[in-house]
Amino acid sequence: MSAREVSAAQVGLVSCGTCHLLSRPAVPANPGYCPRCGARLVWRRHNSIQYTWALVIAAAICYIPANVLPVLRTTALGSTESDTIMGGVIFLYQSGSWPLALIVLVASVMIPLGKLVALAYLLITVQRGSVHKSHDRTRLYYLIEFVGRWSMLDVFVDAFIVALVQLQPLMSVEPGLGVVFFMAVVVLTMLAAQTFEPRLIWDAGRDLEVSHG
Amino acid sequence: MAESSGLGDLPQASVVPPKRGRISVIWIIPILALLVAAGIAIQRIRSEGPTITIVFKAGEGIEANKTLIKYKDVNIGRVTAVELTEDFAKVQVKAKIAKHAAGLMVFDAKFWVVRPTISLTGISGLSTLLSGNYIGFQPGQMDVSQDYYVGLDVAPVITEQKGREFTLDASELGSLEIGSPVYYRRLPVGEVIAYDLTPDGKGIKVKVFINAPYDQYVYRETRFWNASGIRVSVGADGVAVRTQSLVALLVGGLSFDAPPFAKPSEPAEANTAFTLYPDRDSAMKAPDPVSRHYVLYFNESLRGLSVGAPVTFLGLPAGEVTSVGVAFDAATANVRPRVAITFYPERLNAMSTSTADDRNLVSAMQDEQKRRDFVRRLFEERGLRAQLRSGSLITGQLYVAFDYYPKAPKVKVDLSKPEPELPVVPGTLVELESKLGSILDKIDKLPMEAIGKGLKTDLDEVEQALKSARKLITDADTQLVPPLKANLDELQRTLAAVERAVRNADTTLLAPDAAVQEELRKTLQEFTRAARSVRVLADELERQPSSVIRGKTDPTSGGK
Repeated sequence: MSAREVSAAQVGLVSCGTCHLLSRPAVPANPGYCPRCGARLVWRRHNSIQYTWALVIAAAICYIPANVLPVLRTTALGSTESDTIMGGVIFLYQSGSWPLALIVLVASVMIPLGKLVALAYLLITVQRGSVHKSHDRTRLYYLIEFVGRWSMLDVFVDAFIVALVQLQPLMSVEPGLGVVFFMAVVVLTMLAAQTFEPRLIWDAGRDLEVSHG
Repeated sequence: MAESSGLGDLPQASVVPPKRGRISVIWIIPILALLVAAGIAIQRIRSEGPTITIVFKAGEGIEANKTLIKYKDVNIGRVTAVELTEDFAKVQVKAKIAKHAAGLMVFDAKFWVVRPTISLTGISGLSTLLSGNYIGFQPGQMDVSQDYYVGLDVAPVITEQKGREFTLDASELGSLEIGSPVYYRRLPVGEVIAYDLTPDGKGIKVKVFINAPYDQYVYRETRFWNASGIRVSVGADGVAVRTQSLVALLVGGLSFDAPPFAKPSEPAEANTAFTLYPDRDSAMKAPDPVSRHYVLYFNESLRGLSVGAPVTFLGLPAGEVTSVGVAFDAATANVRPRVAITFYPERLNAMSTSTADDRNLVSAMQDEQKRRDFVRRLFEERGLRAQLRSGSLITGQLYVAFDYYPKAPKVKVDLSKPEPELPVVPGTLVELESKLGSILDKIDKLPMEAIGKGLKTDLDEVEQALKSARKLITDADTQLVPPLKANLDELQRTLAAVERAVRNADTTLLAPDAAVQEELRKTLQEFTRAARSVRVLADELERQPSSVIRGKTDPTSGGK
């Protein structure tokens, strides 16, 4: 890189987290509000790493019951059947529709897990002040943020099925406890992605205090 | 702003917040998640009962994580794994029992697979039809808990129902099923709960359960019979149809009752064994206390004679055929059809309207020697014989009939053997056949050729005779007729002469004025006079015989 890279904070500027407008802070201690979009300006998110860690760990804890407990309890003609997410994947695969199985596996098992792993990786690298692959890590973060909302698909489908398939007494579908935990995983990972401060990736190796002085 | 206050030496607030040593509130979230997850896990573990292993012969309809264990229709467990046993001979089912039912898993608890059963008597396990089989459970009585069980092949008898269980010995199962109804006076009072082959494989043991208020009607003397199907009997008075209920008609059933001749003593104890009779008639048949066994050697085909065929005595049922076979006689190199019969004299006694004397005779039959004598005389003097008769020309079924044949050849009957041989006469058809045969034989033996030849010569002779006869006649015509005619003419003439002569005689002899008559009259007068004179003379001689010598005396001095 030919030009010297400098962060906004180093030159006493603050970028808006919402519309990314670069502006001068009202006062350094309290940057104020974005003149364009009105969002509250922060130098760096408060306690970002700790918050993100807490949410990631909570999501990881919830991930276990989300996969162990049934997400759907189907009662058809007297027989009750409880299905976990992995059970559904296996059933779909065994019944021949492996593309569907793959979609469910990717969307409901691998993506939440991937998000947890990715967030943990980002947190660890930021905490260690790593400067390697900052570009990739930033891309990874935005990917996480983008994908997060789609993970609610499972919960969505579950809610739809439960609402629609109520043919008492022939057949009824009830949500299992697993879906609550799954939802918690999704929400927590989304929140974790929100609380994570991607600017920290680039702060590594720079002295913010020095630039101010 | 900062310049006006004049407090330029105040410390500059740092842009980046200092690293705080205290833990953020956000950590409540993972702790909460951990607590909830741990709580659920603990609840799961705590609600989890024991895992048991049940071994079944086959894993029909049992699926892991799907098949339930139910007791009184309440889920008490779920199958977690279905696998083969180590020797690959059976199916090992692992099941998790709910915590609340853990106390039921005792030593003598029973497990069995409940399958849907649809029969005409009812539908059971209908829910299994849609939800798949489940494992039924019956708690045990013992206190020893266990986690290894051997599953039953069939559901055990529901012991909660009050009543009694009885065993029936049958020769065949017929149309019976588990659940087939048992009727008492056409009232369904119980059902078939199990059946099995006897260990030797020669019969069926049927277990029936009679519900509580009705089991008291099962006495020791009670007879059970198979009530399935229709019984149509065609008699002289029409057709009689006898059925149990429609259900029994379709799916089979049993019926029981005490026979009329037996006095019900006391209710039978549970698990008493009874004989299962094929039908009501045989069940209600009075036992035959006295049975006599005899052997008959027929010299004809036994086709159509089956074991159990009736033996009649003068048309009355008196016994039955007990075996049909052949007897080998090495000495004479003979194979004869052999029929063993059993004779029940009591049946005939029951039908007799005997007088006191005869009854005495019957009681005298108890004396073996007298009885034998009586029977022997029946055969030797009265000509009692056994005969094979056709019961039905359509089916060709035969029966053995005893009847009198006084013309039958005399035989000697030896009744001292255990199975005495009785004399037989050929069957009616056979007899007819043999007679026809002998007639045909005789016809066959006739020297038809010789007869034909003789007949031919005879006919030739007759022809010749006829020819000569005709010749004779023509000869007679030509040679005899003309002189005959002449003779006849002469005869005519003679007759005319005779006629004339007779007419002359009439005039000469018979006319009132005929000379001959005049002469005859005179002669007769003369003769009358002469006779009178003779009488006078005879009288004279009687009065005076001496007058012949002395001559006629005076009639006044007569007697002197």
